[in-house]
Amino acid sequence: MTTLTSQVDEIQELAEKAVREVFQTMLSMEVSSHPPLPLPPDPEGEIVSSVGFIGQVTGAIYLYSRVSFARLLTSRMLGITEQEVESGEMINDALGELSNMVVGSVKSQLCDRGQTCTLTIPSIVRGQQLSVEKPSNVTTRVTAFSHGNHHLLAEIFVKEL
Amino acid sequence: MSVKILTVDDSKTIRLIVAKAFKPYDCTVLEGDNGVVGLAVAGREKPDLILLDYTMPVMDGFEVLARLRSDPDLKSTPVIMLTAEAGRDTVVKIAKLGVRDYLIKPFKEELLIERVKRVVNLKLKSAGVDRPKRFDDPIHLLVFDDKPAIVELIRSGLADTPWKVTSATQTAEALEACNKGGIDVVLASLSLPNDAAYAFFQNLRGYANMATLPIFGMSVRTATAEQARAQQAGFSGIITKPIDPNELKSKVSKGLKLETSYKYFQARSGALILTLPKDVNASVINEVSAHLNDQLTAAVDSGNDKLVLDLSLIEKATLPMIELVLSATEMCSALSLKSALVGTSALKADCRSYEETNAWVFASTVEEAMKLEPALAEAAA
Repeated sequence: MTTLTSQVDEIQELAEKAVREVFQTMLSMEVSSHPPLPLPPDPEGEIVSSVGFIGQVTGAIYLYSRVSFARLLTSRMLGITEQEVESGEMINDALGELSNMVVGSVKSQLCDRGQTCTLTIPSIVRGQQLSVEKPSNVTTRVTAFSHGNHHLLAEIFVKEL
Repeated sequence: MSVKILTVDDSKTIRLIVAKAFKPYDCTVLEGDNGVVGLAVAGREKPDLILLDYTMPVMDGFEVLARLRSDPDLKSTPVIMLTAEAGRDTVVKIAKLGVRDYLIKPFKEELLIERVKRVVNLKLKSAGVDRPKRFDDPIHLLVFDDKPAIVELIRSGLADTPWKVTSATQTAEALEACNKGGIDVVLASLSLPNDAAYAFFQNLRGYANMATLPIFGMSVRTATAEQARAQQAGFSGIITKPIDPNELKSKVSKGLKLETSYKYFQARSGALILTLPKDVNASVINEVSAHLNDQLTAAVDSGNDKLVLDLSLIEKATLPMIELVLSATEMCSALSLKSALVGTSALKADCRSYEETNAWVFASTVEEAMKLEPALAEAAA
């Protein structure tokens, strides 16, 4: 169990670094990390993007944000205005790609440390007050990121092997 | 012809980012949303470069690459792999499959452009409408030298032109300036420590879009071995120190094939006017001689019947000037063009002292020369 705990801590640290790097490189945005707070309600709802990793270390990283923030992220990523973000599909794809970059970066670091794994295809869920049910053999960590009034939660699931 | 770039990625976001990045360039961006579609587009369109995602459903980047390499028509198509997975094993696996380069996501748009420029000759759309550059265009020189005095000398020597001089003292700085774009010609000091000029030269030639950027080596006149080495390495030419601004202008003009004829030739009311400057130096002789035949032929072709040689800025006859005038008048005779001279009384008097020029007849102004009767014009010749 100690091994799993330190492994989750390690992945949390890698994920925090990856989120900051992806936001800075792809969106020219600085984010600060802090202990988790619940996402404020958004009439447009919430969006959760996730990518899993399977192998010597198995788990997933879920990125939660409000749809309004997801629209801003999409516009920054594509270099267009928020009004030009035409569809939900555009937002879904952009958030999926952001997750892919974050988890891809974590996976590369894990592989270089001998913990080989492969990635799953990104998946997206939308709704109100979303939460992911935690299975019994899973250890989780949550980190919150802020950019002004906008928030993003990164929830890390690592399965006990 | 426009460059064709194929982006194969299951993420529409990445395909949009790629398309947007290349929008300012004269290129066509083709898309494939998975490996199978990507291969089909590649087979049909024969792109100049493929940007290939690594993790994709249906067929991943590795399989696409393996199939490309076994297709006789596509096996040599350069591929840049885009991957969110930068682990050592992945990178080694990618390298073994023979990709030209790889780019790790997240990436900056500028980095993508820079990597692509190493493989294909990307030109900005506005640069596509090619007008020959003229000597009076704002030519941008990069001087790569660690001696500020040389940079200042060049800057002051070019002060009578609209040319712009930027300097760099380090190889990385010089490469960055070239990569940014807008540099027309580079002057690199061959005496920089650690063969920096040669390293810079080799590095720059690695970029497809800078393969033809003229790079001159700067060297002291007596360092002949250094100059021979640079010539052998492929430098566009040598500028010797101390730098003669006229020689520099002439060599840069030649290296960039700058249009200079407008400096000397002008068509007016049925005549071609050739105006020589006060100092008819070797550069002037070279430039005028390079254009003379074409200008005279074009003049005849357009119905002009006379060449007026305006020497009114020249105070004293010199051998090169005399030879140039004789050569021009001989060409006129061969083309059945009349010719007339314009000069000051001082030049007129000077010309009387030479056997080759003592019969020359001068008009006082261009307008007067244009009205000269054929007999007088022939006498002038």
